[in-house]
Amino acid sequence: MNGLPAREAEDAIVGGTALVKRFGGIAATDSVDFSVAEGDLVGLIGPNGSGKTTLINLLTGHLTPEGGDVVVRGRRMTARSPHEFAALGVARTFQLTQLFGRMTVLENMLVPGLTRPGSTRESATAQALKYLSFLNLIHLEGLEAKNLSGGQQKLLELGRALMLEPSVLFLDEPFAGVHPRLRDQLIKRILELHASGRTFVVVDHDMESILRVARRLVVMARGRKIADGPPAAVRANQSVLAAYSGL
Amino acid sequence: MDYLLIQATNGLVIGIIYALVAVGVTLIFSILKIVNFAHGDLYMLGGYTAYYAITLAGITPVAAIFIAMTVVFGVGVVLERLLLTPLYSERTERKDEYGIIVTFGLAFFLRNMAIIVFGVFPLKPPSFLEGVQRVGALVVTNDRLFAGIAGLLLIGALLYFMNGTIWGQALDAVSQSRDSASIVGINPRQFNTLAYAVGAALAAAAGALIGPIFSLSPDMGVLPNVQSYVIVILGGMGSVLGSILAGIVLGESQALFTAFMPDITRALSYSNAFSMFALVVLLMVRPTGIFGRRHLRME
Amino acid sequence: MRGLPTAVLLIVAGFVLAYAHTFNSYWMHVAIIAIFYGILTASWSLLAGYAGLFSLGHMAFASVGGYSSALLVQWSGIPVPLGMAVGVAVCCVLGGWIGWVCLRMTGPYLAIFTLAFSEIVRITVSTEDQVTRGMTGLHTVPLFGSASRLPYFYTAFGLLAGSLALMGFLLHSRWGLFLRAIREDEQAAAASGVAVARFRILVFAIASGFAGLAGTFFAHYNVVLTPDIGDLDRMAFIVVMTVLGGMERIPTAVGGAFCVEFLLEYLRAFGIWRLVIFGILLLLTMRFARNGLLTPLWLQFERLGDVRTAHPMLRDVTHEAGQEGANG
Repeated sequence: MNGLPAREAEDAIVGGTALVKRFGGIAATDSVDFSVAEGDLVGLIGPNGSGKTTLINLLTGHLTPEGGDVVVRGRRMTARSPHEFAALGVARTFQLTQLFGRMTVLENMLVPGLTRPGSTRESATAQALKYLSFLNLIHLEGLEAKNLSGGQQKLLELGRALMLEPSVLFLDEPFAGVHPRLRDQLIKRILELHASGRTFVVVDHDMESILRVARRLVVMARGRKIADGPPAAVRANQSVLAAYSGL
Repeated sequence: MDYLLIQATNGLVIGIIYALVAVGVTLIFSILKIVNFAHGDLYMLGGYTAYYAITLAGITPVAAIFIAMTVVFGVGVVLERLLLTPLYSERTERKDEYGIIVTFGLAFFLRNMAIIVFGVFPLKPPSFLEGVQRVGALVVTNDRLFAGIAGLLLIGALLYFMNGTIWGQALDAVSQSRDSASIVGINPRQFNTLAYAVGAALAAAAGALIGPIFSLSPDMGVLPNVQSYVIVILGGMGSVLGSILAGIVLGESQALFTAFMPDITRALSYSNAFSMFALVVLLMVRPTGIFGRRHLRME
Repeated sequence: MRGLPTAVLLIVAGFVLAYAHTFNSYWMHVAIIAIFYGILTASWSLLAGYAGLFSLGHMAFASVGGYSSALLVQWSGIPVPLGMAVGVAVCCVLGGWIGWVCLRMTGPYLAIFTLAFSEIVRITVSTEDQVTRGMTGLHTVPLFGSASRLPYFYTAFGLLAGSLALMGFLLHSRWGLFLRAIREDEQAAAASGVAVARFRILVFAIASGFAGLAGTFFAHYNVVLTPDIGDLDRMAFIVVMTVLGGMERIPTAVGGAFCVEFLLEYLRAFGIWRLVIFGILLLLTMRFARNGLLTPLWLQFERLGDVRTAHPMLRDVTHEAGQEGANG
């Protein structure tokens, strides 16, 4: 819509065109075009039920669209399994943390680490410990994941996604229910990771946090993309204001 | 042709009985969210309770059905309170697994307990009404006729209960959403117990009705158990009406399958496997079915 | 596993093998049957405990393995070990197929489907008695010509040891982590790059292969094979044994098989009451000690001689000692 189609197509890591997904009679996504270019830091926002999580599910292989296509680095990935997306460097976190509860923090990290070709126990463990340090979780490595606090669980999910050495990370409501101090740490880390070359798509309702990270804002409402561009422009956009005024 | 007619009628009766069993499974699944692997053994308990009510206490066969239903209703309450309460606690992990193992274990316990208490040898309760009815070439024993009619009446009573009474409607509400029910002031825990006990009572009635026709044995519940799952999946989980229709369809199909199969001895054996085949094919075609819906995560 | 516990187990195994010839024939039979169940509970624990696939069709594979091997040897005259190998292969393929069919099925659905499959196998084997001799029993070619049970005992022991070694190797590898991740949260596992479908099929194939192995051994040990090897009561035994021992670990599952089998024989005088007691024990265990009764014992045993209390599943971790694993 408000993007730059030509540039997007060339640099796009992952993109969806005309994505349609229906549940019952309702179109959760209604012909949505969305692509993420290398180095983007996209904030994906919209009222509840606007189709944000569905879009993420479609772009990471967890859902198959009824219409449209999903492309990862030029490769057509529509209807492929999530692990194939992960193998191509598309990582995600979940709205409600989905950790491997009865496995330890380290084991949670090792699972994605060991799916990468050429990884060994030693290399994956070293990689895991590096990220756990970065996330300040290393002192908890032997703890069962279910025993972590809510905020720590969110960080662990981020760590687990990082283990895939992903080209793009989809974060689904990373700030939800997180203590403000931990949230600031999270934002800081996202920005650090972005500065070192990682691409992010962050979905959240916390406008303040989103605006602190996003370089590009995409707004969805009722299954459609209604705005896509730099935050300042999007915030002034009338249709965006209209969509949110219903809240 | 006559043989076919007789088989078809028998199939109808059996189908109604299956439906009665399956309806209980459906009820328990909608409310407690588990598959009750012990359902066939509650059916078996019903049959034996009626038998002993008749032979030891001199109760009439028809009244014995109600005794059986009441006793097994009570048994259902006890079992639910003792074994199934962890299903409602946040602390219980992998509730699916818990439900399967506990009810499977319960079935094992009940079956072996039955061998001890009732003995291994089949027992035949006295008929509800001796004699047969003849309509042209069609011959139906009174017992089968009674079982079919009583079954239909009980199913009718259940439907009335579910739709026409406050308790029944509350059950319906809880099955759809436990949280909203508790907001309105309904105590979901009581309804879990009620659902399990009612399901058990229905199975018991089926067992009591079938006793005079096929006689009783401790493992008589094994096959109806699996058959009830076929029916419930066929009819659509959570749909009482669907279970009823599917039960009758399965009963008929099984009877006609037996009628049409050339090799009689094989036919009888395989008629038991018929429902399994149906289930296997069904699940291969629609594996996510209605169970699968629960596990779908959406925005 | 750590050094000291392994050494202890090896020493005990050594003793058992060295003194096996002094066991009386009756108890040796009990031991062999216990081992038979041990292979079954270990492989079922792999399926249900590690991967979370609650299959009630496990004994059907023992049945298929046993009958395939017995009939093949009878018809073609090939040596029994070869027949057994074919039986195992058939079960692997069939198991993999079932795993594929069950891909979209969750908990109770999987249980019901495998239950129905199990009953179909049992009824078919029972009905086609021209081939299988049905309930009257199929006479099989014995594995050894000897009258003594000793070679059978050594073989069973070897098969169990081999099976456990193979399963242990599998579970300590990354595959073990992946299986547990699938059980914990299949969706998250997929998002983490685990090829869930492939692993579900694989674990079904492997577990069914082991069940088939147990079945083929039994067929050529017991000399008579009947369809009730695959019936629901036998499956209930497996569930009881595994849950009582602890379904989430192989050693506790095997321990459960041994304990229950020996108790069953020891309490023979109680007749059917034994089964009732075990039924009650199962219900009590699920209600109050869901991890299994042997699990606490095993966890202590594993820590023998361990100075640090690191989590038992961690290996080769190069970090500072002194990290307290709160739930190790």
